[in-house]
Amino acid sequence: MHLASAAVLFASSQLTHLVPLDVLILVLYFAVVIFIGFYVKGSTNTSEEFFLANREMSAWIAGLSFVSANLGSLELMGWAGSAYQYGILAMHWYWIGAIPAMLFLGIVMMPFYYISRTHSVPGYLKLRFGEGARGLSAACFAFMTILMSGVNMYAMAVVMQTVLGWNMTFSIWVGAITVAIYVMLGGLRSAIINEVLQFVLIWAGAALIPILGLIEAGGWTNLKAQIAANVGSNDYTHLWSTLGSFKSNPMGIHWTGIVFGLGGVISFGYWTTDFLVVQRVLSANNLRSAKLAPVIGAAFKMAVPLIVIVPGLLALAVLKNADGSLMHLVPGDVAKITGQHAYDEVLPLMLIRYCGPGLLGLGITALVAGFMSGMAGNVSAFSTVWTYDLYGAYINKKASDKHYVAMGRWSTVVGMLISILTAYLVAHATSIMDYVQALFSFFIAPLFGTVILGMLWKRATKEGGFWGLLAGTIGSIAMFIYVHVGGKQALSRIALSSDAQPMAENMYRALWSWILCVVITIGVSLVTKPKSDSELNGLVYGATAIPDDGSRTLLQKPIFWAGVVAVIFVFLNLIFF
Amino acid sequence: MAEGTGRGDLLSIWFFVGILTLLYGIVLLPYGAWAWATGREAHTVLFQLHPTFWWGLLLSILGGFYTKRFWPRSEDRMKT
Repeated sequence: MHLASAAVLFASSQLTHLVPLDVLILVLYFAVVIFIGFYVKGSTNTSEEFFLANREMSAWIAGLSFVSANLGSLELMGWAGSAYQYGILAMHWYWIGAIPAMLFLGIVMMPFYYISRTHSVPGYLKLRFGEGARGLSAACFAFMTILMSGVNMYAMAVVMQTVLGWNMTFSIWVGAITVAIYVMLGGLRSAIINEVLQFVLIWAGAALIPILGLIEAGGWTNLKAQIAANVGSNDYTHLWSTLGSFKSNPMGIHWTGIVFGLGGVISFGYWTTDFLVVQRVLSANNLRSAKLAPVIGAAFKMAVPLIVIVPGLLALAVLKNADGSLMHLVPGDVAKITGQHAYDEVLPLMLIRYCGPGLLGLGITALVAGFMSGMAGNVSAFSTVWTYDLYGAYINKKASDKHYVAMGRWSTVVGMLISILTAYLVAHATSIMDYVQALFSFFIAPLFGTVILGMLWKRATKEGGFWGLLAGTIGSIAMFIYVHVGGKQALSRIALSSDAQPMAENMYRALWSWILCVVITIGVSLVTKPKSDSELNGLVYGATAIPDDGSRTLLQKPIFWAGVVAVIFVFLNLIFF
Repeated sequence: MAEGTGRGDLLSIWFFVGILTLLYGIVLLPYGAWAWATGREAHTVLFQLHPTFWWGLLLSILGGFYTKRFWPRSEDRMKT
């Protein structure tokens, strides 16, 4: 949702430059990641090793990788910008828009993904609903994943060009070649190691901003008072109390959209069925680790607003022009005309505000690591789905394991080349980024409907799964076109208010497409023949004896830690209500 | 066992986390100390708190701890 603005936001002149000390920090990072690729190559010889890291990751590694796969630089900069634009409401995307879904994945869904021994989410759909649902989801996923990788690549190049004045082609090729080398050599294992490194780097590079910012602002209470004085409203620091109507908050959203659209559908769709993140948990070394990894990920996710949302809020209070007047950031398209700084520049601006040589290099390295990790996540997920669910399922079903590993390595390279092509395509028509993002939203909400019914309802049939998924996806596309063609009237029908902002429209569209998928799946299932219980063993609640996960004491039980995270989650929402 | 990098390998993921953090600490700490001592710190907001020095020290301690804790041991080498 921030991609289009990312293209134009850095229209102003170069923000800063790196000194040799900063360059050294950046070079150290590249040297370590390339070394890791070569180092783990020797332990990625079988398909299980290459695509699923031999399922030997501990709960901590899988959990950190799970949350890190979603922590791309574009997200960080975009949401920091949203915090400046909409205030603390942006926090919902990190809390209610993630935590309940992550806990649900760990406690309810992970046992089925894990004990079915599937290699991918489309693979689970094949076991549960047959080839139709698998083919549809695999093709959609592979297509959108590779486009997302290209968009990430382009965004990195734009940011590097504008923050540091780097040539775009240089950024695209250096990033792409580095990622291609380490993913091609080490597969998912390489990607996971780098995601864990990236998570640490992001904290090392960005944590100083909220620390120094809060010192400068005089603490949280003073920060709230300064924001209220600067924007003339208390609405920017309340999480829930302004959501009673569409007009009473800067986002133009109602609490039903946040709770049901974001927290109920978009979040569950993304965190429980997007293979990019689920693949990380499938690499866990046992059932207990697989259940615990999303819980650990949720605990870390709750802390991320400190380095994303707080800098955006701090900027509302402390960011000033050279003459001492308050700096006003503007939307990307306005910034391009007026020469002001854009919302999404807030994180680099705050970084430059507090970080001199060395620390600036660390912050920039964290951003680069975030971009590269985003590309690696997309490409490794693409190569898995391509090899298992498209090539291995429809093109060459009986090849040797060695052949599939080679295909995985080559598809990584080809995927990266397509991403580069996409990046150049986007560079010539930035509106393509909007469509890539929309593409993602078309598919993920209905997919959640299909997977969740497949896991929880024995009566769901092969035909129901396929037609429900197809109807939900087509319905979402139709609503998108309707709103873009039909104007305010169409918007008020889909998003329940003509005051709704694009984010609100996305949420309601996701909700309706999910409901459509569920209704069609149930309807078709009721008139078609279900599978027997024995065929559904290991795939569905009620037909599966869930194996013991090996937890003995209370502190070993994933459900206990999920409860702890849930209590902290509720507590935090009440504090910032 | 070296966690996360493959069975029998000597270096775990946590070792890489430690060594990279330590390297950054080693780069930042002396620079921060030099800039503080010579009064050549960049005039960023709150530079008088010497963030480069303190952050470098923190990264050195954390990185050093992880590097030492997950340094490949001789018994691991024997197994491979």
